[in-house]
This record gives sequence, structure tokens and C-alpha cells, in this order.
Amino acid sequence: MTVYAGPVQDLIDELGRLPGVGPKSAQRIAFHLLKLPKDDALRLANAIAVVKDRVTFCHTCFNISEGERCGICGDPRRDTHVVCVVEEPRDIVAVEKTGEFKGRYHVLQGAISPIEGIGPDQLRVKELLARLEPEGIDEVILCTNPNIEGEATAMYLGRLLKPLGLKVTRIASGLPVGGDLEYADELTLGRALEGRRELD
Amino acid sequence: MQLQRLWLRDFRSYASAELTFAPGLTALLGANGEGKTNVMEAIGYLATLSSFRGVPNEALVRRGCATAVVRAEGERDGRQLLIEAEITTSGRGRVQVNKQRLARARDLLGALRVSVFSPDDLELVKGGPAERRRYLDDTLVSRQPKLDAVRSDLDRVLRQRNALLRQAGGRVTAEIDATLAVWDAKLVEAGEALGDARAALVDDLAPVLSAAYDQVAGRAAHVRLGYLAPWREAGLARALEDVRADELRRGISLVGPHRDELVVTLDDMPARTHASQGEQRSVALALRLAAHRVVTEATGSPPILLLDDVFSELDPDRSAALLAHLPPSQTVLSSAAGLPQGAEPELVLRVAGGTVAAADPGLS
Repeated sequence: MTVYAGPVQDLIDELGRLPGVGPKSAQRIAFHLLKLPKDDALRLANAIAVVKDRVTFCHTCFNISEGERCGICGDPRRDTHVVCVVEEPRDIVAVEKTGEFKGRYHVLQGAISPIEGIGPDQLRVKELLARLEPEGIDEVILCTNPNIEGEATAMYLGRLLKPLGLKVTRIASGLPVGGDLEYADELTLGRALEGRRELD
Repeated sequence: MQLQRLWLRDFRSYASAELTFAPGLTALLGANGEGKTNVMEAIGYLATLSSFRGVPNEALVRRGCATAVVRAEGERDGRQLLIEAEITTSGRGRVQVNKQRLARARDLLGALRVSVFSPDDLELVKGGPAERRRYLDDTLVSRQPKLDAVRSDLDRVLRQRNALLRQAGGRVTAEIDATLAVWDAKLVEAGEALGDARAALVDDLAPVLSAAYDQVAGRAAHVRLGYLAPWREAGLARALEDVRADELRRGISLVGPHRDELVVTLDDMPARTHASQGEQRSVALALRLAAHRVVTEATGSPPILLLDDVFSELDPDRSAALLAHLPPSQTVLSSAAGLPQGAEPELVLRVAGGTVAAADPGLS
């Protein structure tokens, strides 16, 4: 790969470390930034600096937050008895968009993945346990991703929480609403059949 | 799917090529190293999204290029089907069927099926157990594409579990114990599903295999298959308990489908150690033929037969026997040494220097 003048190559290397950005894209973004008016480029640099300065993680649920407490934890209208456990802050956004959930969240900041050196100790599991009693939580919804690592994390948490006498639920996996059965892949349809429920 | 046309762009040695196929037998003729196998590999890629030569997908992209494209047009259940697959040197490839992009490349599996015969098949008999496990799994996925998910789940679980065992370094803390229990459960789930599927497949293959051997070798012999999976008796969960100490000491998963063995015996002796080279070749051909028949039986339509330079390795008797007993289905055959005796292709393609041209079937 061609090596550019020092600062340019530094920028390409930094961009290349971002998720989803390969060497080609890093190069394209770097040259785009070079062409940008100075003000526009500095606005981006500033936005990054401000985010790193001001935004931290909520001390309760580990969602991103501007203070010690995030907006959701600080909202008195939220149901304190139910907590929805997710892997990442962006998953909260996804659940919030549904408008179906009125409880609070807990962000694990990852999923169990020994390959990446992530075990329960690297996740915010202890912090979740510490919340249960003081907040009077009686239901935990396990909302981790439906992949191997997410399922393993859900199973781990389930085994940990069940003996404590809580109601522990796992989100269902199934068919997209508004879709056709014939277009569903076998795996998803199989799961949907497994998780079928009686009409009331 | 009945393959009608194939286009290649920056695939292996081909910058650009277009090929037409006959409904019956198409022969690809040309000297060694001209690109016959590459054509086979491209067709095979559309069936399994990987190379049957066992190389990583990056190796399929022409040197100096970033992406390769394989396009195929054909007919399936009376409908025209256009499959387009893009292979990239970095990241995931993309797949379109009739110009509609598939959400997951894996959803393509089953649209086009192949049975590949190649000179490397001898390794099925002579090689290590991994070769025979791959043979079983490839046949399983060809017969029932959704098993590909079980297979890749198992792979992933094993990688995670092995990483955890290595990290434990022989010491079991409460945390390791609780996490290991979760990976055990996942291993049991995927492992038993794959183990059961393989055992069922072996039961289906066994009777077909003996008949196939008799046809290929021209003599009656007892060819038997045995799926050795000692853990299946008491269940994988129990077997894992039994090897726990060993696994922790060695930092690796020691029981499960990834350690099972498919044993092939010829007249009650292991074919791997006791059969002659010629017998081993016949056993390998019979294994491929049996898989082809089992898949045909289960799916109702025969996979495309890809015979990659197999006749160069066979004596005339075996060549003739194989040709005589190939099931009637679309077949693509490649040869560097002209046509084997008894082969009557509807279409002959000459492959030379990265180009393919139709030739008069009479000249060969």
C-alpha cells in the first residue's frame, strides 16, 4: 500500500481503526477531509472532542449519558420494577423506538465472548445484581442479540438470576411483521414455530 | 438447477469469460494449467459459497483485483433463475438472485447443487478423519441446506469454548465454571443436532455405497460405513463431564462431532490402511456416487455432476464403469487427455489461455 506524507498517513491509519472502515474507505474519507473547508473539518474534530469530554456512562444503567444519570434512569414515569438487559447503548435506541417498553435498561457493554477475552467479569453483571434489590426489580427481560454470543450471555444471566426468585424472560425471535411466510428463511421460521403461543 | 450459461469476471485466471452448457454432457478440454478446474470451481462456488479445493475465498479473485463475479443463468422448476455472486478479497461477498439481493449469502444454498468428483477424492479414503467429516457435512448441507447453520454454529461455539478453556489455564474459578456451563449447553445443542444428522446420513448412505462400489469396481465386495461417535451413547452432556479434567489440562474441546470419525471398511478391513491404491480409488468414487444418489433421492432432482479430471487417474475399466453408472443428470467433465472412451458429449468447450471456445464435438 502506498504511504502518504506523515500526517495524511496518520489520519488514514486512525480512520482505518474505526469499525466497518477498511483501508480503501479510510483513504477515501481522509482525502474527503483534506478537501473540506477548514471550518467543516474542525467542527468534526470538535464534535469528537466534546463527546469525549462531556459524555460518559450512566452510573446506574451504563447507557451513554451527559451526567451521572441518564435521561431514562432519571425519568420518574418509568416503571422501576422491570429492567431490560441489552448489550450496547444503541440497542436501547432500537427498543425505545418500539414505544412498547416503559421500564428501565441495563447495558452490559458487550456479550460473553472468550475469543475477545470477554467474560462475565468484563461485563456490567455485578452492577446489574447490585441494582435488583434497591430498585425493587421483579422482572428482567434479556434482550441480548439472537446470535451465539448473545444467546450464551442470556443463558448465563438466566441461570444467575432465576434462583433469586425473579421473573426472567427472553425476547422472542420470529418473523418480521408485514412480511410473507414464504419469504422467511428456514431458521427464523423454525424459531418462530418453536416459540409459538396459544391464542387468547 | 439446470445450468445454461455462466459468466466469469476476474475469477481465478479468467479476466472475463462466457460459457454455455448443454442439458446433458458438456466436456471441457485443454492442457493442464489452462483453467478447466477454475470453471468447475466457479460452478461449485454457487452451490456452496466456497471452493471445493478447500482454499479461502480470497484465492478465487484474480491476482491484482479486488472483486470477482460469478453469474449463472439456468432453469429450475420451469423458471429462469439468474444467480450473481460477488467475491471480495476483503469482507463478505454479496449474492443476488434474479436481481434481488439476498439478505444473507447463505440463503442461496440449495438453489444450485453440485456433486464434485476430483482426483483429490482419494484423500477421502487415505486422508485424515477431517476429510471424511467434511464429506459428511457437505452432503448433509446439500441435502438439507438449513443444516449449514448448525454446522457454523458448532464451529463458532467450539472456537469460543476452546478460547475459554485456554484462558482457564487448568484453574476453575467460579466464574469460569459458570461460563463453561453455558458453552457446554451450547455445544450440546449444536453438537447433538449435527451428530444425529450425520448418523442418519450414514444410515442412508450405507446401502447405496455398497451397490455403487460394485458398479465402479466391477466386483461385489462388502463396503461398510461406521460413524464412530462414542459420546452419542450417553449423550454429549455426560461425555463432557467425563473429560472435563482433561479438557482443562489441555485447553481444547475433546469430545463432540469435531472429533468423530467415519470409518470405511472394505471386506471388513479398514479401507484407509488395508485397501490397495486401486481399491481406494474405487471406494472414493463410490462414496461420491452414493452421496450424489442420496441427495438426488432426498431433493427430487439430481445435482449437477462435476467430474474434474477424474479419468486421468482411473484405468480404462474403472473409467468405463464410472461413465456407465453415472446417473442421468447434467454433467460437466474436464480432461487434459482428450475424452475418455465411451463419453459422448453434446458440447465440447476448448479451454486455452484464459479463454473458452466451443468446438465441434466430433473433434476431440
